[in-house]
Amino acid sequence: MENKVNYDPSFAEEVFRNVDAGDEIKMCMNCGVCAGSCPLREHMDYPPRQIFALIRAGKREEVLGSQSIMLCTSCYTCAVKCPRSIPVIDVMHGLAHYALKQGYVPRKDTAAFGGEFWKQVYRLGRIDEKDLPRRVFFSGGLIEGVRAMLNFMDIGIKLMLHRRMKLLPERKIKGIQSLRKMLDKAERLGKGGAIA
Amino acid sequence: MADVQTTSQAILVVGGGMSGITAALEAAEAGYDVVLVERNPYLGGRVTQLYQYFPKLCPPNCGLEINFRRMRQNPKVRFFTMAEVASISGREGDYDVTVKMAPRYVNEKCTCCGKCAEACEAEIDNPFNYGMDKIKAAYLPHEFAFPMRYILDPSIVGTDQGKKCLDACEYGAIDPDMKETTFDLKVGAIVWAAGWNPYDAAKIDYYGFGEYKNVITNVMMERMAAPNGPTGGRILRPSDKKEPKNIAFIQCAGSRDENHLPYCSGICCLASLKQTTYVRERKPDCDIAIFFIDIRALDRLEDFYVKVQADPKVAFIKSKIANITEDEGTGNLILEGENTRTGEQILMNFDMVVLATGMVPNRIELDAAPDVTHDEYGFFTNNPEQPGIYGAGCVRTPTDVASSVQDATAGALKAIQSIARR
Amino acid sequence: MDKKTAVYICTGCGIGDALNIEQLKEEGTADFGIDVIKDHPFLCGQEGVDLIKQDIEGEGVNTVVIAACSHRVNYDAFNFGRDVIVQRVNLREQVAWSQAPKEEDTQMLAQDNLKMGCSQAKDTDWVQPYKAEEPYSKDILVVGGGLAGMTAALEAAKAGYRAVIVEKEDKLGGFLGRMKSTVTLPYKALSETGAAQLIQKVEDEPKIKVYTSASVEKVSGGPGLFSVDIKANGNSATERIGAIVQATGWVPYDANKLGHLGYGKFKDVVTNVEMEEMAAAGKITRPSDGGDVKNVLFIQCAGSRDPEHLPYCSSVCCMVSMKQATYVKEQNPEAVNYILYKDVRTVGQSEDFYRKAQNDGNVFIRGAATQLGEAGGKLFVEADDELLGEKIKIEDLDMVVLAVGMVPASRPETTPRIKAPADAAGADENGMIEVAPDSGFFANSALHLAYRQGPELPTLKYGFPDSHFICFPYETRRTGIYTAGCLRRPMETAKAIEDAVGAAMKAIQCTEATAEGKAVHPRAGDMTFPEFNMQRCTQCKRCTEECPFGAINEDEKGNPLPNPTRCRRCGVCMGACPERIISFKNYSVGMIGNMIKSVHVPEEDEEKPRVICLICENDALPALDMAGIKRMKWSPYIRFVPMRCLGSMNLVWIADSLSRGIDGILLFGCRHGDDYQCHFVKGSELANTRLGKVSETLDRLALESDRVRFEEVGITDYHRIPGIIEEFMKKIEEVGPNPYKGW
Repeated sequence: MENKVNYDPSFAEEVFRNVDAGDEIKMCMNCGVCAGSCPLREHMDYPPRQIFALIRAGKREEVLGSQSIMLCTSCYTCAVKCPRSIPVIDVMHGLAHYALKQGYVPRKDTAAFGGEFWKQVYRLGRIDEKDLPRRVFFSGGLIEGVRAMLNFMDIGIKLMLHRRMKLLPERKIKGIQSLRKMLDKAERLGKGGAIA
Repeated sequence: MADVQTTSQAILVVGGGMSGITAALEAAEAGYDVVLVERNPYLGGRVTQLYQYFPKLCPPNCGLEINFRRMRQNPKVRFFTMAEVASISGREGDYDVTVKMAPRYVNEKCTCCGKCAEACEAEIDNPFNYGMDKIKAAYLPHEFAFPMRYILDPSIVGTDQGKKCLDACEYGAIDPDMKETTFDLKVGAIVWAAGWNPYDAAKIDYYGFGEYKNVITNVMMERMAAPNGPTGGRILRPSDKKEPKNIAFIQCAGSRDENHLPYCSGICCLASLKQTTYVRERKPDCDIAIFFIDIRALDRLEDFYVKVQADPKVAFIKSKIANITEDEGTGNLILEGENTRTGEQILMNFDMVVLATGMVPNRIELDAAPDVTHDEYGFFTNNPEQPGIYGAGCVRTPTDVASSVQDATAGALKAIQSIARR
Repeated sequence: MDKKTAVYICTGCGIGDALNIEQLKEEGTADFGIDVIKDHPFLCGQEGVDLIKQDIEGEGVNTVVIAACSHRVNYDAFNFGRDVIVQRVNLREQVAWSQAPKEEDTQMLAQDNLKMGCSQAKDTDWVQPYKAEEPYSKDILVVGGGLAGMTAALEAAKAGYRAVIVEKEDKLGGFLGRMKSTVTLPYKALSETGAAQLIQKVEDEPKIKVYTSASVEKVSGGPGLFSVDIKANGNSATERIGAIVQATGWVPYDANKLGHLGYGKFKDVVTNVEMEEMAAAGKITRPSDGGDVKNVLFIQCAGSRDPEHLPYCSSVCCMVSMKQATYVKEQNPEAVNYILYKDVRTVGQSEDFYRKAQNDGNVFIRGAATQLGEAGGKLFVEADDELLGEKIKIEDLDMVVLAVGMVPASRPETTPRIKAPADAAGADENGMIEVAPDSGFFANSALHLAYRQGPELPTLKYGFPDSHFICFPYETRRTGIYTAGCLRRPMETAKAIEDAVGAAMKAIQCTEATAEGKAVHPRAGDMTFPEFNMQRCTQCKRCTEECPFGAINEDEKGNPLPNPTRCRRCGVCMGACPERIISFKNYSVGMIGNMIKSVHVPEEDEEKPRVICLICENDALPALDMAGIKRMKWSPYIRFVPMRCLGSMNLVWIADSLSRGIDGILLFGCRHGDDYQCHFVKGSELANTRLGKVSETLDRLALESDRVRFEEVGITDYHRIPGIIEEFMKKIEEVGPNPYKGW
């Protein structure tokens, strides 16, 4: 019994029943195109295909406790390439949603990112690409923040040189009030959502 | 060409590839009259463009030559190249078919002496080599072409170049006044063996075919390996004509993909396995990686898979490659994906990439045609409610040469039954 | 009929520029009694052809030698009907385009070529097709009454032919009759097997005669003339048959050899065949206790793709397991099926069924089983899950299904041993010998051919009885006997149906061609056949042993008994015969010998070596044409003599050539060995073997072995030909001139 995974189909059943689009993962043929195309794959403990494989095997803890399901940014790269048309994003968000409902607290940095992201969108109606990472980095304290900033310095400089990141702070969008109304409503509707 | 007299006792075979040739010959050798029409200026279809067959690694011309000899000595088969079916009407046992023939601008007096090509200075993209090289605009489609006759590209007809060809021919074989002609046939049954086209790899935009020079398709690889191909049988990457040090084969490039071809094209695994032997034969130190979802080597073809697996320079990586980018400086290609066996990320650099593109069937698309049915993917389905027209070969299912021959032999008997029923 | 021979030389396409035509006309045709000798600048044009026609009609010319281009080009221009013998001589690709113009050597080459052509025309006789004394049958015997067999019979009947089915069971149906459902086009769901309707159709068809509980006791004769003894329910019958379709199907791989997967050890481990039969019988239950089935694990490739068992893939097992998983779910929607696979192999549109199986919630696990055991009355399986990257254990299994592969019914489980023939090497102390897979003795009995070369169809690797499985999949090595269905290769039902229709087509075609005295593949339509001059036969048995198609039987004294309708006209027997007693009307040992004799051998001091190349006309000769069309250059000292198959090469030609002073002999034939390309299967290999015996001749003449060489030349090897020739000529130069010149 040492180091052997006991296959348990009940978790897959649970996912099929409770997670948005969860039953679509039955169609996965393990090609790995989702994992290969995910821009955040380096930050994921299990890229989407592996999440699906874990569900198949019944590894509940690993899946619901995974930070990957919290990291998905809905870029759709995987979803458009999936040869079996699995709505990978819906599944990932669905899993995140379900994990929270089941009391799985997102890992600190993921939560920090989500929280800051939400706050900033609420405040500006957009993301300030300098401000957001700064706030996330320093959420763990000053020393960690400085270390993280130094780690990302090269990228930051390159982004600025390529004019992908502005030096000046971002402004609020037009019609921020309308957006906030929408966000308020979304929050009410999706209470318990991934970024609540 | 209007001297084609047929009766409702004759069989029309559409398509002169392996399936069509087989259907025509099998019926003719049983004593039936057959008319074969082929769109290309030569018979043989796609297999003529292959370097070798799997798993025996033998030249397709070997079998084709026997078939052409069967055809040469059998007056029961009449064939027309550069010909297409324009319309079909009627029913089992009594079809009226109109055939349209494109002008070849070279008549039956051609002796294949090659003087027209010598005189001609204009060049066109060589269709036989998928445009990878140029050929004179007066040309023999390929050296084993059957029928063995030159052709003039329409672009030089009526020009100075065309005149040069005309003047060079000592036998009056060049005829610039040829026009498109049509003729009518009466036949009792039809075998539809119009074959397939490679899937347009440019549609898989994240693989960069058409944009990155060193991304080629499997059918192009066949031409490259052939001694009569664009590189004289050398495997060279298109950007700088250098021998690649490593090559990636990407399986299911379009196939088994609901965004492209949801079905499995059936032959691409073996085609890539075979192509690794082309590489190995020429360059023993070239590294090869095959990226796959499942390797589908049915029946004894498994042996061939086992043989290639034993090659230490061929790596099998289970992954559907997710993205290709080109390194602008070197023209090398960077492949991204997930190695699903290890869970590790793939970020690999290759000199050349071969996309194992799949098969798209040529369906019946005529303004006037009796009801025929295709499945949701465009494959011909033999409809018991509509006997008389039978699909054969890759129009029915994506498959290899042996199965096409088998299917076409069956198609011949179905056609004979349609006549016998009358 | 008296010969009146005319020679026509085309001077077009550079031939006239390369050669002295007047000299050629004179010196190339002397000694052959040619009645008319003409040249024309464009012989294949209307005017040239009319010129020939006028001579045929006006002068009574009945034999025409065309000295022009390769027959590849305008092949149909010189067809004057069956009454006029046409002999082609190549002066274009093999002379004008590949040699230096206006050189003496080029002129001599052209003259030799023309002389060989004239000689051949002189020795060619008009062909009279073979006609047996008895009437020909066009009835089709189908051995095996399963899906493929029934389909073949029905389809033949639909085309108007009578068929006879011989089925060993007491009813028709074969494995189809034991199945619950099939998976077939369009692969979206299960389909009914249709077995009952198919059997009904066969039984209702007046053109089909069915023997059940029957076996074929003996097949003698040949296509069109087969006499088939059938034993059915204790009675005997004899049928006259035109051609045969063998569709004796398959047997499952013996699961008793799969003890490592728990078969035989645990009752709830069953094969896919047992599972199918259980499902067809009504309900799938646990064999151990008859209990309900909830969790099932399928082990794919059980014994397949395994060098210790069946090295090949049986093609259908992936779909079969998915189908059976559907049965389990139909019975109990809560059931869980695990499918443990190596690769999922659902090709073509059948990928849709894989999708269906996934959508049904079946669990696909890529990996191999490492352990199988029992705990608490349930089975468990341990495996490596490749895609999870971990070792896994699946417990609480009610059943494990082994997806075993298909073994062609022709192949026995063990290599049989038979009483060794008198001269065979390798016999044991009891005089028994192990039988090679392609011997015809290897197979399980189904046909009982009264053939000298064995009672069954010879097989290739793994017991599949075909011979050219890529280009000509229906060809076996016994004329007029075709195989269909899973005997030929493992295949799903949709393919077996197609396959049976095709096999019926081939069988029908064979009866039609045979009735007209025509050969079947690959020399389809050839009306010549070998004739034996029995007075001079020494009963050496070479012809009966070497015929690649087992066409020749033997009487008890060892005399050959030819069966012309079994003959493929390759001439291997002619090549094998040391007494030169086997001839065709247009191809004989004497004819080729005379052609070689007509080659002029210059004196030694002229320093013009001569090499004869015996060249396979199917592959190497077209390659040579290609080399000429590509304007490649090669030595003018080589003379090419086309062979029907290199296997028809008779050693006497080599001996005679060398004793006349020919300096070297080249043989161009097809690749042989496992991946042989010879259209007559064994021809090039036999030629190569015979060549091994040529050393005796060389020793007798005290000549060097380097003077004779075999080269494998494929049809696309034209670019290699000049190099091969050049290298050989260098070797001949090194060895020096043949001392027999001028003898």
